Amino acid sequence: MIEEPYRWVEAIANRREYVETQLAQGSPIAAVGYRDGILFLTIGRRSRQKLYEIYDRIAMGAIGHPGDIERLRLAAIELASTEGFTRSAADVSLRRLAHYSLSPVMKSAFEQVYGPPYLARLLFAEIGSTPKEDLFLSVDYDGSIAADGPSAQPRQRFAVLSGSKASSQLMEKFLQQNHATDAQLADALTLAADAWAVGQMALGENAIKELPERDAIRKHRDEQLTNSGIEAAVLERDRKSAIRYRPLAEEELRANLQR
Amino acid sequence: MDKPPLALDPNFSGASEDFPALLRRKGLLQVAPEPTAAAGGHSFVPTESTTILAFKFAGGVLVAGDRRATAGNTVVYDRADKVLEIDRYSIMAIAGVPATAWEMARVLEHSFQFFRRTQLQEMSVDGKVRALSKLLRDNFGFVIQGVGIVVPIFATYDRNSKPEARLYFYDAMGAQFEVTDYAATGSGSPAVRGILYYENNWGAKKLQELNEDEAIAIALRALDTAAEADTSTGGVDRSGKIFPLIKIVSRDGITTLPEEQIAGIFKQRVA
Repeated sequence: MIEEPYRWVEAIANRREYVETQLAQGSPIAAVGYRDGILFLTIGRRSRQKLYEIYDRIAMGAIGHPGDIERLRLAAIELASTEGFTRSAADVSLRRLAHYSLSPVMKSAFEQVYGPPYLARLLFAEIGSTPKEDLFLSVDYDGSIAADGPSAQPRQRFAVLSGSKASSQLMEKFLQQNHATDAQLADALTLAADAWAVGQMALGENAIKELPERDAIRKHRDEQLTNSGIEAAVLERDRKSAIRYRPLAEEELRANLQR
Repeated sequence: MDKPPLALDPNFSGASEDFPALLRRKGLLQVAPEPTAAAGGHSFVPTESTTILAFKFAGGVLVAGDRRATAGNTVVYDRADKVLEIDRYSIMAIAGVPATAWEMARVLEHSFQFFRRTQLQEMSVDGKVRALSKLLRDNFGFVIQGVGIVVPIFATYDRNSKPEARLYFYDAMGAQFEVTDYAATGSGSPAVRGILYYENNWGAKKLQELNEDEAIAIALRALDTAAEADTSTGGVDRSGKIFPLIKIVSRDGITTLPEEQIAGIFKQRVA
């Protein structure tokens, strides 16, 4: 059947549609740079962790099938740890991890139509010694990579992940208007939670198309928060320890959200 | 390609030879004396030239080590770190061969981190203590052959255990012994053990009741005493201003005491 090129293209298109449908309900994740580092935040079912520590300076957020996320997460940890052990923590690079390891694996799983694709979208951030060296990077189910890091292009110092393209575009639009790189952690928390609410409102059947007013965003956010857990972690630039990743406690998070 | 690869070396005796034997034959290894029948097979004396001590005090566990590294009678380095942080709450202090000890510390550090990252929880105290035990056990072949002996102390703090501060010492084969009050290892340790025993029983306060400054003073006095009789222990270098390395593990994690603080207490209470 798929010996003919046309059939193969068709099969890939079908597969893309299938994966997109599967991922469409994924709760958004926002990663924003703030004064002292990078904050990851998501809101959702308490039973499922979605933010992870990969290595000393690398964090990951993911949406998709838990089994696939777990396989990719373990692969990333193993690669980073092996590099960090044989050489040093400074030689572990998120860019290389994504470009040479994760992306090719996910691409070939997606395009080999006899095997199962990875039902997962991954968002990574790597904290550098200065904000200039920070890197935000996401890898999609087909292996495509979007990065915001040291380059000739203007930087935005945030990144998002969501179930649909429309949702993540709206989140980005919201962050472009409201993000400040020198914000305190409490302000960054509120901003990320609001960005999450925007992304969530843009998913599902009654998805919004335009950015809502601030009050509407906060109302939706607080409604969702009554039944869901809030999960957040930071990569802190000037931590004494080599490990920059720190998960935040939920009580601390709720107390800091502005009404 | 002047030299043939090792396997093609006509002097290489193959599977019957191991790595330490090769080093010895090439003259790259100081030869440990062969056990002799006259000495009852006990003439092999491993060297652990250093002094390491640890004891529990009111603020957690204090771990201190001198800075001298020796090779035979020669002092090769006077700023060696023998008190190593393994993770946020664990310290391994080492007496023995630095190459092996530092490698063990690296392996432990990475395996604890790998466990936390993959399993999404901290390794238990028992698990950590066992991990070090396993490394020592695996190394025992080298110890028998006269290279690579390591006799560590392991201190950790776990809020979920009773007591929260935990302190262990090991033998070279990997047996671990948990202690209630103090532990010491290395060539200078007999003197230190005497001091800590005395302080704990007849001192002004029990070790576990000491505040931080008092604990530091006792650690410095003990190391100074050890250095008095043991050439392999650096103690406090008064002219070079080299002080022992002291770390404290407590509820808040590990703190490395700044040199000025140690110098201040040394001047006030020890010198």
